Amino acid sequence: MNGYIGIDIGSQNSKGVVIADHSIIAHYTCASGVNHRQTAEKIRAKLLDKTPHIRHIRTAATGCGAKRVAWADDQCSDIQSLARGICFFDNTIRTVVEVGDRFSRVVRLGQGGMVIDFSMNHRCATGAGVFLQVIAKILQLDIGDIGPLSLKSTAAVRFDTGCAVFGETEVITRICEGHRIEDILAGAHHSLAEKIAAMAKGIGLEKKCALAGGGGLNTGLAAAIRKALGIELVIPPRPDIIGALGAAVIAGQKSGHQAKR
Amino acid sequence: MYFAGMDIGSSMTKVVIINDAHEILIRKATPTGARHSLLARKVFDDALSIINLSPDSISYVLATGYGRVNVPFAHRHMSEITCQAAGVHALFPKAKTIIDIGGQDAKGVKLGDGRVIDFIMNDKCAAGTGRFLEVLSDSLDIPLADFGHLSLQAKTAVEINNFCTVFARDELTACISRGRHIHDIIAGVHDAITMRVVNMVNRLKIEPEVVFTAGLATNTGMVRSIENHIGFPVSIPDHPFTTVALGAAILARKIWLKEKGKGNS
Repeated sequence: MNGYIGIDIGSQNSKGVVIADHSIIAHYTCASGVNHRQTAEKIRAKLLDKTPHIRHIRTAATGCGAKRVAWADDQCSDIQSLARGICFFDNTIRTVVEVGDRFSRVVRLGQGGMVIDFSMNHRCATGAGVFLQVIAKILQLDIGDIGPLSLKSTAAVRFDTGCAVFGETEVITRICEGHRIEDILAGAHHSLAEKIAAMAKGIGLEKKCALAGGGGLNTGLAAAIRKALGIELVIPPRPDIIGALGAAVIAGQKSGHQAKR
Repeated sequence: MYFAGMDIGSSMTKVVIINDAHEILIRKATPTGARHSLLARKVFDDALSIINLSPDSISYVLATGYGRVNVPFAHRHMSEITCQAAGVHALFPKAKTIIDIGGQDAKGVKLGDGRVIDFIMNDKCAAGTGRFLEVLSDSLDIPLADFGHLSLQAKTAVEINNFCTVFARDELTACISRGRHIHDIIAGVHDAITMRVVNMVNRLKIEPEVVFTAGLATNTGMVRSIENHIGFPVSIPDHPFTTVALGAAILARKIWLKEKGKGNS
C-alpha cells in the first residue's frame, strides 16, 4: 500500500503523520528541541517503524522548522497544511481556528480545503498559547491541568493588561487580592479566547467551525473560545496533528498530480 | 520652611525635600513594597532623620506616582506627568521634550514654558519599557547594571524582529546559539526599546532640548541608542529617578505659597 508522510516542525512540538488509503495509519509527536533536523529524522524513523508494510511514496514538511527537513519532497505553508488537514478530517468545515504555541490563526475554507481567507497573530504573546504557559508557570501548574481547572471557576477574574509579561504581575496581584486560582485561570483563558475571537470575526465566521492546534487539547480554552465566538466548535480527536495531517494530504495530492503527468 | 515631594512608583518610592530657596536637601529612593502607606511613612521619616528635621517642619507634602493615594500624610496628590514637567523644567529650563522610560511604562511629554502641552504613554505592553530589559537580563543572566557598558562595546547590534517581549526572549536565545556576541545582543535589546519609545514619542514630535529621565536614563547604552536614533544629544539629570519627586516638592512649595497668600488676604 502507498503511504504519504506529513511532518510539522512547530516552535514547541513536532508532529508526524502517515496516511494511506485515505486514513491515518500512524502518527508521532515529540518536543521540537533545538535541532530541528534531528527531530525530523527521529519522527521519520518512528513513523517508518510503525508502518513496515507501507511503501512510503512522498513526504511534505510544514511548520516553522519545515526548511530543516531537507529530505522532504515538498514544503508547504502552515495555512495550506492546516486547511487540507481539517478538510481531510471533515470536509464540511468552513472556518478553522488554530491555537499554537507561538501564534494563532483563523482560516476560512472553500470546497476541498481551498483557502479563501486567513488571519494570524504572531506578534503578541497574549494572542497565542504561550500566554497560558506563562500563566501556568507563575501559578506552578502543569499546562495540562489549567484547562480543566479553569472550568471550575465561578467568578472569572477580568485581565486588565494586554501583555503576557504584565499578565504575570497581574496574576500575582490577583492572588494577593485573594482570588481563587480557578477564577484567575478562567480569566486568562477568556482573555486569550477574546483575542482569537476578535481575529476570527475580522475575517468572518462561517459554519462549521473547527478548533485545531495544541490549544484544541485544552478543554478550558475550547469552552472559552466557543463562548467568545458564540458558535459550536468541532474539535478533532487529535487537534495538534492537523498540520502534519494536512502536509501528508498535500504529499499525496502532489504524488497524484505527478502520476497523472 | 521645607517642602516634600513623594513619588510612589511601581518599583521605587522616591522622596525629595527642598527648602524655600528651591535647594534640594535630600533625595532618596527605596524599593516599593506591597504596603505602600507604611513604606511611604518610613521613607519620609528616614529622609527627615538624615537631614535632622522633624515631620512638623515640613510645610507641605505632595504625593505623586501610581501609589499616590496611599500617602495618608500628603496634603495633596497630583499626576506624575505634571510633576515630571515641573521637575524637569526646574533642572533644564529650555527642555521641550521629555522621554521617560521606567520599570513598567514609558512616557513622552511635550513642554511649553514648563507646562505640559501634550503627553503620550505606554503602560499596556512590556516591550518598550524597563520590563523588557529586566526579562532579558534574567534570561541572559547578566545583571542590568552591566547592560550599559557591555552594549557600548558592540560592533553590529543584532536586529530583533519580534516586537513582543516573550517572543524576543526566545529570539535572543536563538541569536546566542548562532554565536552572536553578547555585546551585539544587548545593543540590539537597547535599540528595540528605543525604536518603540522614539516612535511613540515622535507622535508628539521630538524637539530639542530632550531630557531623558527615569530608570533607563542611568543606562549609558540606552542613552547612546536614543541619541543615535533621534540624531542629537539628550540631557540627563544627575538623578534621573527623582525628577518627578523633585517636581512634586517644587509644586508643593508653589501651592503652599499660593494658599498662604490667600489666607493672608
